[in-house]
Amino acid sequence: MSAPAGETSIEARVRMEVERAIQRSIKGLEYISTGDPAVGLTPKDIIYRRGTLQLYHYRPQTDEVYRVPVLLVMSLVSKPYILDLAPGQSLVEFLVRQGFDVYMIDWGVPRPEDARLRLEDYVLDFIPDCVGRVLEDSGEEELSVVGYCMGGQLSTMYAALHPEGPLKNLACFTTPVDSDGMVLFKRWLDPRYFDVDRVVDTLGNVPPELIYASFDMLKPAGRVAKNIQLWDNLWNDDFVRSYRLFERWAADQIPFPGECFRQFTKQFMWENRLVRNEFEVGGRRVDLGAVKVPFLHVVAEHDHIVPYDSARPLVSLIGSEDRREVMLKGGHVSLVAGGNAVYRLWPQLESWLAERSV
Amino acid sequence: MAEKQQAMDPLAMWREWVAQSERQWNAFLNQAMATDEFSKAMGRFMDFYLNLQKGMNETMGRYLQLVNMPSRQEVLGLGERLSAIEERLGRIEGMLARGAEAEVSDPENGVSPVNRPARTKQPPSRGNDA
Repeated sequence: MSAPAGETSIEARVRMEVERAIQRSIKGLEYISTGDPAVGLTPKDIIYRRGTLQLYHYRPQTDEVYRVPVLLVMSLVSKPYILDLAPGQSLVEFLVRQGFDVYMIDWGVPRPEDARLRLEDYVLDFIPDCVGRVLEDSGEEELSVVGYCMGGQLSTMYAALHPEGPLKNLACFTTPVDSDGMVLFKRWLDPRYFDVDRVVDTLGNVPPELIYASFDMLKPAGRVAKNIQLWDNLWNDDFVRSYRLFERWAADQIPFPGECFRQFTKQFMWENRLVRNEFEVGGRRVDLGAVKVPFLHVVAEHDHIVPYDSARPLVSLIGSEDRREVMLKGGHVSLVAGGNAVYRLWPQLESWLAERSV
Repeated sequence: MAEKQQAMDPLAMWREWVAQSERQWNAFLNQAMATDEFSKAMGRFMDFYLNLQKGMNETMGRYLQLVNMPSRQEVLGLGERLSAIEERLGRIEGMLARGAEAEVSDPENGVSPVNRPARTKQPPSRGNDA
């Protein structure tokens, strides 16, 4: 695409734009006619199934691995393949190649009967169950847990309610604890106008379309701008590939288990109990000060889903002496899976975990 | 020099305009969506949606009863029972797999459990990083 010597910059520029316009037409047809890109390709085995839950073990790719296995815990409203998007864009692949023994909980797509699942099912049953399976499979007595977004909340609650172990390290990405910082969500779920009991009693699980629409509404002009950006970059294969991967994930929302949504709305969004250490799971109070293991919280500077104000108090609430917050450039999703995650989040996580995984 | 070139590049200016417009529209609409009126309107929309859903559920339930077909609740009940069977099968499968693994692995006779890498990796030292 570079201009031959002697050509003026304007000629070169016109030539380049004409070439791009041609490429846009060709690639635009390709874009429409091809299917969704494959995701979640890092080789893995399913070592445990329970209802829709699947526990993955990623096959080690190094001659030796760190002693302490790593368990990734995902949010309840998003599919976990954002952490294993595609070769070269996968946090899981990166960790496996750096010598970590990686496991991941995939909550699956809740079925209508899963509407009765409560936070205690996740925090006091499913996670401890999976932790036990990981320890059994790895032959170790302790493990590290890494939680993303709401997965971070679940992991933190688990850590607070299991201070006796076997957790060795806890890392969270963009985990909200103060709902006052989530201004728009808080407004939309205002108890004066939003009847969560009626929503759950009528619908059971909260439909993924509602969740998708609410995320989209946080950046109302974003969709138009994204489409313009896509058209502008249609000639660029790398951009289009990345765009499709992210769009596929963003549109691939799953239902929010009804009872869980009810508890979450009342205790977290309305009463803001987590930040006051008054959140209750199965009748037990979640005191974040009880988390004494090494703790890392990575937040994104331009996170519009979990604004910094809602994530900031977490590190100070944790009772561990070895606790750290790192703010990185990027948004809620690009923090973990964007092209820049390779240079920003992943190496930070690797160096933090490595020295605590022996 | 690069700044001057960008200033004269109409496409770069257009891209910058798109990005700025997006930011401005987002800020403007977010402000509108953070009002009481918007929350109230959303609540009304939700009410309408839930009433519609409830009405449809009831009508469909009556229709299914009329044509002697299982209702949604009955199908969900079946689904739950199927899930319970799946879970039990999973547990049995797991027990069998663990039993088979224990039989294969016999450390006393020098048979290693599963061919996995040693858990001996050490973090790269600071000296190696530099």
